[in-house]
Amino acid sequence: MRAVRLLIWTGSALLCGAMLLSAVHGIWPPAGKAAISLAASLAGITIGLVVWDRRPESRTGLFLTAYPLAGLLADLGSYYWGSSFAMTIALATSWLAAPIFGQLVLTYPTGRFTSRLDRALVEIAYGAAGLYALVFLVFVSPRSLTDSADWHCWVCAPPVTQIASRDLTGTHRIFDWIFVALALALLVLLFRRLVRATPAGRRVVLPLAVATCALAVEFLVQTSLYGTNLNTWTSSAWFVISTVTDLAVSVALAAGLLWLGRGRGAVAGLVVELQQTPPGGVRDALARTLGDPSLELALWLPERSGYVDGAGRPVELPELDSRRAVTVLGPSDSPVAALVHDPVLLERPALLASAGAAARLSLENERLQAELRAQLAELHASRARIVSAGDEERRRLERDLHDGAQQRLLSLGIALQLLRGKLGVDANGAGELLDEADDELRAALDELRELARGIHPAVLTDEGLGAALRSLAGRSAVSVTIAAIPDDRLPAATEAAAYFVVSEALTNVAKYAGTAEARVSVSRRNGRMLVDVEDDGVGGADPSRGTGLRGLADRVHALDGVLELDSPPGHGTRLHAEIPCA
Amino acid sequence: MRVALADDAAVLRAGLARLLGDAGVEVVAQVDSAEQLLAAVDEQQPDVAIVDIRMPPTWSDEGITAADAIHRRHPHVGVLLLSQYVEAEYALRLLERAEERTGYLLKERMLDLSDLLDALDRITAGETVIDPTLVTQLIGRHRSHSPLDDLTPREREVLSLMAEGLTDRGIAERLYLTPNTIETHVRHILGKLGLPATANDNRRVRAVIAYLRSA
Repeated sequence: MRAVRLLIWTGSALLCGAMLLSAVHGIWPPAGKAAISLAASLAGITIGLVVWDRRPESRTGLFLTAYPLAGLLADLGSYYWGSSFAMTIALATSWLAAPIFGQLVLTYPTGRFTSRLDRALVEIAYGAAGLYALVFLVFVSPRSLTDSADWHCWVCAPPVTQIASRDLTGTHRIFDWIFVALALALLVLLFRRLVRATPAGRRVVLPLAVATCALAVEFLVQTSLYGTNLNTWTSSAWFVISTVTDLAVSVALAAGLLWLGRGRGAVAGLVVELQQTPPGGVRDALARTLGDPSLELALWLPERSGYVDGAGRPVELPELDSRRAVTVLGPSDSPVAALVHDPVLLERPALLASAGAAARLSLENERLQAELRAQLAELHASRARIVSAGDEERRRLERDLHDGAQQRLLSLGIALQLLRGKLGVDANGAGELLDEADDELRAALDELRELARGIHPAVLTDEGLGAALRSLAGRSAVSVTIAAIPDDRLPAATEAAAYFVVSEALTNVAKYAGTAEARVSVSRRNGRMLVDVEDDGVGGADPSRGTGLRGLADRVHALDGVLELDSPPGHGTRLHAEIPCA
Repeated sequence: MRVALADDAAVLRAGLARLLGDAGVEVVAQVDSAEQLLAAVDEQQPDVAIVDIRMPPTWSDEGITAADAIHRRHPHVGVLLLSQYVEAEYALRLLERAEERTGYLLKERMLDLSDLLDALDRITAGETVIDPTLVTQLIGRHRSHSPLDDLTPREREVLSLMAEGLTDRGIAERLYLTPNTIETHVRHILGKLGLPATANDNRRVRAVIAYLRSA
């Protein structure tokens, strides 16, 4: 393709050179004017070819090249007015630049139509240009066109295709106005695009609209001036203005396209940036590279068959509409992630693709982390559920023991008393047996009560942590000083955790500390409940000892809390728990 | 003596009714909910209502609520609450709400008929009754540097009986001492513990229990 472009440029340059030579040696057009005009054309073609080369994925480069080239060919007639061949080419291409420009503008910046209406307009314009070429190639009498200010063609050669000579001045005017109408329609369509564009898209369309307006005005003025004899100065000024405008439009459109594509370099920057991106920062890096602050990242989790955000929360991709667009990265059957972005980015598919490819490894990483976080959150929630279900079960058990077994034992005890009344005083030694049974029964009731309290103290449920801790301290085998104790009620799981921490700690003090005193403190600070049980015993407690502490740690961790055991040999033991209680 | 029984455990209630009947106590009503109890008390005007704390519908503190209502509507009807738990917290909550003619006994006290009858007598006489197991538990707690250490064994004994709700006369009878001696002990005890010298009533019991709970 590069060879084709080189060929086009070389051909155009040679053509321009030849035309300039012809102007210098001939009588028309004036050499200065020819030089300016040809230089502008060649510059336009060059710009188009450069864009074509840099942005091969966009057909805009092609149109940017074709537009001035068509103008140049249409000018051949003015330079070689004696040549039938040149005249044929000129007539064939005289309106060709107009539909090319329309296509350039309406398909900018991808070079592809996005609306049927746009395509229809351009097709009509091509049709009109073709019809003009056909009519004039067959019937034109070049002399009839000579009243144009620039067309000194008294002895112009007829095109090689001429069959009959007719005066087509009226027809020429008709086509002029057809193209004026088409230019106005083009402006309307551009305005429509401007209105419908997203804010980011508007930045692309607005310069386009301004440029097109400028050209349309130029074209309108030129058409209105048809047949007017301007003085030399005005005529020259107009020539310069229109030539510069033409070239400026080419430059603007080319610059715009290259600016849009600047992301290519940015992708290289992205690759470097991603190396230093902290976990969770891939979205920000991508948003910067793609120039879309509204960018959202959705990571695909295969085992959920759904998308999640960076924190592992499920997200739904939006419906495709004019406000948001979705680009899926990775294979469609097993995507890595999806970008939810401004639709204007769809006009830069190559940038999206390369940025996505560059970020893919980091996204895989991010996805794994999101997956991990989602699993962790699930695990966390399930652990909390297990603990709270366990507590609920303990409460139920305690109630069952009290309302079931205890009531039955009591009934039995009453039955024994009634029996004692029936038997009278010591009937055959039965009184002694009754006493034994009575003792057994009371022992059973005591054990039952202790069992129920160990499972879940009813006072904790009924009266709260403060009451339960006081009761616990009262029953403890060691002397307990309560330094601080909360008065208000807290969530059941929090109260239970704090209660069991103190309970286990006091049990351990009695068993291992070799002291008779312990100090309990439960306070709230900054949304956390701090539980401390200290003794001044022998210390040196082993945290891995027994299952009591481990189960306790699990219970506290399930509530997002921490449990610490500090027990230097000879310096007492301190069990410290922190449990969130917002 | 006429009593009303409220307990949702039917077998237990029937057994207790029979036991009390055999001991000469007239059981005028047996019900299994607080609502029925209030209706029965309205109708029968018993001397004492024996009430299980945990009853339908929520099995939490229906008995205490019913006791409140009975005290409000029939100040002369005593209430003896039976609890499944040995917890000072429950007793204190009850004492805070009820004025007099109130008792808090463990359900197991049903097995000691003489204690039960004694409690009924004292409640009828306008006293407050607190279960000795609870008092023993409160006083027997391990404390370091407590003013309780300064009490003589006899004073501790007297303190326990004060906490159980006995009057000076009742304590005197229990310990075979004269009421005057008991009065002196009581004065010393209140002084050592820094408690106000209140009258011989529900308020004294409450103060002593609260002191023991937080000491």
